[in-house]
Amino acid sequence: MLKLEGVTKRYKGAAVNAVDNLDLEVRPGEIFGFLGPNGAGKTTTIKMIVGLLRADRGRILVNGHDAFAEPLAAKRSIGFVPDNPNLYPRLTGLEYLNLIADVFGVDGATRKRRLDYFLEMFELTSALGDLIQSYSRGMQQKLALTGALLHQPPLFILDEPMVGLDPRSAHLFKKVMREHVNKGNTVFFSTHVLEVAEQLCDRVGIINKGQLIACGTMDELRAASGQAGSSLEKLFLELTDAGDGHDEA
Amino acid sequence: MQVMAMMRPRFWTLYRALLSDHYGLSAAKYYYLKKRQRTWEPLVIAAALGPALAMAIAFIWNLTEKLFLAGLAFGQPHLALLNGALLVGLAGLFFGFFSVLSAFYFSTDLPVLVPLPLQSWEILGAKLAVVLTGQYAINLIVLLPLCLRYGLLAGVGLGFVLSAVVVFFALPLLPLVLASLLAVLLMRAVNLSRHRDKLTLIGGLVLLVVTIGFQFWLQNSLGAQDPEVIMEQLLSRADGLVRAAGRVFPPSVWAAQAMAYAHTGQGWLNLLYLVLVSVLALLVLYLLGEKVFLQGLLQGLEGTRGSGKRRQVSLDREGRWPLLTLGLLEAKLFVRHPGFALNGLVGYVLVPAMVLLPLFGQSLQNNPFELLALDRLPPAVVAGGIALFFMFMTAMSMIPATTFSREGGQLWIIRSLPLTIEQIIAAKVVGSQVVNTVGCVLGIVPVAFFLGWGAEEVVLGALLGVLLASALAGFLVLFDLRKPMLVWTNPIKAVKSNLNAMVGLLIGLALGLLLGVLIYWNLQSGTLWLIPLELLGAALLLGAAVRALVKRWAPALWARI
Repeated sequence: MLKLEGVTKRYKGAAVNAVDNLDLEVRPGEIFGFLGPNGAGKTTTIKMIVGLLRADRGRILVNGHDAFAEPLAAKRSIGFVPDNPNLYPRLTGLEYLNLIADVFGVDGATRKRRLDYFLEMFELTSALGDLIQSYSRGMQQKLALTGALLHQPPLFILDEPMVGLDPRSAHLFKKVMREHVNKGNTVFFSTHVLEVAEQLCDRVGIINKGQLIACGTMDELRAASGQAGSSLEKLFLELTDAGDGHDEA
Repeated sequence: MQVMAMMRPRFWTLYRALLSDHYGLSAAKYYYLKKRQRTWEPLVIAAALGPALAMAIAFIWNLTEKLFLAGLAFGQPHLALLNGALLVGLAGLFFGFFSVLSAFYFSTDLPVLVPLPLQSWEILGAKLAVVLTGQYAINLIVLLPLCLRYGLLAGVGLGFVLSAVVVFFALPLLPLVLASLLAVLLMRAVNLSRHRDKLTLIGGLVLLVVTIGFQFWLQNSLGAQDPEVIMEQLLSRADGLVRAAGRVFPPSVWAAQAMAYAHTGQGWLNLLYLVLVSVLALLVLYLLGEKVFLQGLLQGLEGTRGSGKRRQVSLDREGRWPLLTLGLLEAKLFVRHPGFALNGLVGYVLVPAMVLLPLFGQSLQNNPFELLALDRLPPAVVAGGIALFFMFMTAMSMIPATTFSREGGQLWIIRSLPLTIEQIIAAKVVGSQVVNTVGCVLGIVPVAFFLGWGAEEVVLGALLGVLLASALAGFLVLFDLRKPMLVWTNPIKAVKSNLNAMVGLLIGLALGLLLGVLIYWNLQSGTLWLIPLELLGAALLLGAAVRALVKRWAPALWARI
């Protein structure tokens, strides 16, 4: 569903690559957690996948389409929720959703059915006629999520989806991700919340300084590190060198 | 060093930070000096603004001389000073209102500043000081050459210089404080309503019409017929004008008399009035800061929450053509933001009002439009003029020339949608033309009615205008794509402080002049039938050129953002 081959990105004026020769494959029907410390290259990678940034080298395939050679075909397969869903504050929630549905060509009946389902679940129905600027951060996050799922994308990408969500909303997000995958689609998300990744993900990839340093199921990661029964947090800290000397005695 | 930094007054620190942010000083220093990037930009800006500034200063220099010499004949040489002071005062009041409204209420930094341990007056004062700094820059162009020329002609002494320095700094203060008070009170009132965006827009437009009305009244009160007689009456009735101006804005008179009679007690007394009233106004603002500004602001922040009264909306809607959806989105997002709308839609009100208001005065002969004989123009020229109006207004509205810049942090939405840049540009042109066509039609219809223009020429002009304006809008959208101003703390900066908007305006003006000269030539040579064909040809040519440019450059520019 998603394949990255030798993807490299260096920002103008930077001394090192933000993403360095990244190879990664995410299969259909799995939830893939993309982990890494701040500045590791997670958001840069996601921005390249969804077409917000262009890679200097390498190839990204989305549902068989080259994201740089056939950007429209690739984007049609993606639903994206960024880390800070900065939506148009002076549109109503419904206007925003209609914009997304029109662009993705979702017909009236399907649109209504899906909107009914998601808006009911996220308790957004009554706020739909209000301007987005009146929404809380969580409501905006849920609106962005609804918009991203309206066309039932084969690849659902979320950047730090749990930031700023209350426990109930976070639970709903996890439920939506699982339901999406159960229909044969794929979810790719970045997070700092390791407990969520551990609970939810079928596989995780850990990126540090632009390079993928580990990838696999929890059991595969434990086996590779030789620490059976370790938590993802412990593995993460060891792999990213951040935990040295700071663990409890 | 650290101790010194800690001792630095908070107000000064805040002022410097806001000034740097408002005018992009730190960003300029970072890019031009530290990173040595985009170093060509200051040169381009200087090349674009330099001649315009030089022309403005030369104009004021010459006008001062003419007014001085003419006023001298009537024993009123200080008429030039009064005009300058009146201009600075009224401009400060009018433009200051919008600047203050923008800085106080539409700025996104307030939620960051308000929780800091700062007094309300410190935030209010620092923001006012930033706007005031801009006014001083205008003073350098208007008041400084005026005072210099007057000083040289009148052979003034040290008293004038001292007085002029005080006037230079004090004069913009009072209009801005008054504009701040108006803005604070307006927002305190409209923030109570959930329709505050609409009310702000309406309040701003009402203020605009009042200002135009004042200009009209001033002009109409002269009551002369011949432009030469107008000037003569203006001079002979200078005392009357002083009194009239004094009624509207007394500090201008105090400022003018403070400088003109700097060597006498009357001059110092006027200077004292100016300084005292300015200080008093600052004191009032200080006192109202806590009570009115902060409460109004907090109300505004509260007001952005949901209404509580949830409206039922229907989810039944058939899919729509994406181009239309995106185009309407562009139009909605522009007109719903009072800051954008006030700055961009002002021309649609201003131009027809300037044509129409004198019709309701003593006679049509007192206004500059008499020279154009708008009510006696041949139909083909009327059609051509309307078409050029449509074209110029699309540049003046700033909608196409700032379209990507206004997206700012929301640009990710259209970038992540499955749309080509050609489709996005087309949609943005459609959006800008929806607003432009509605605005122009609403402006033209009453003018056509009162001037007795026929429906045929109005419709023909509008059709040609839509074509010309669409082609120009396409170019301006592409121009903004070249280098959009995406990083701002106040969305209005994407419109008002955007070089793309200014260049767009100049392009619109240049194109309008070029085609205007062509129409004039047709009028002179009696080839009126050529006008529609020429304008159609110009629209098709420009449209084809824009289409080629979009195909050639847009994908690369879009990928580069």
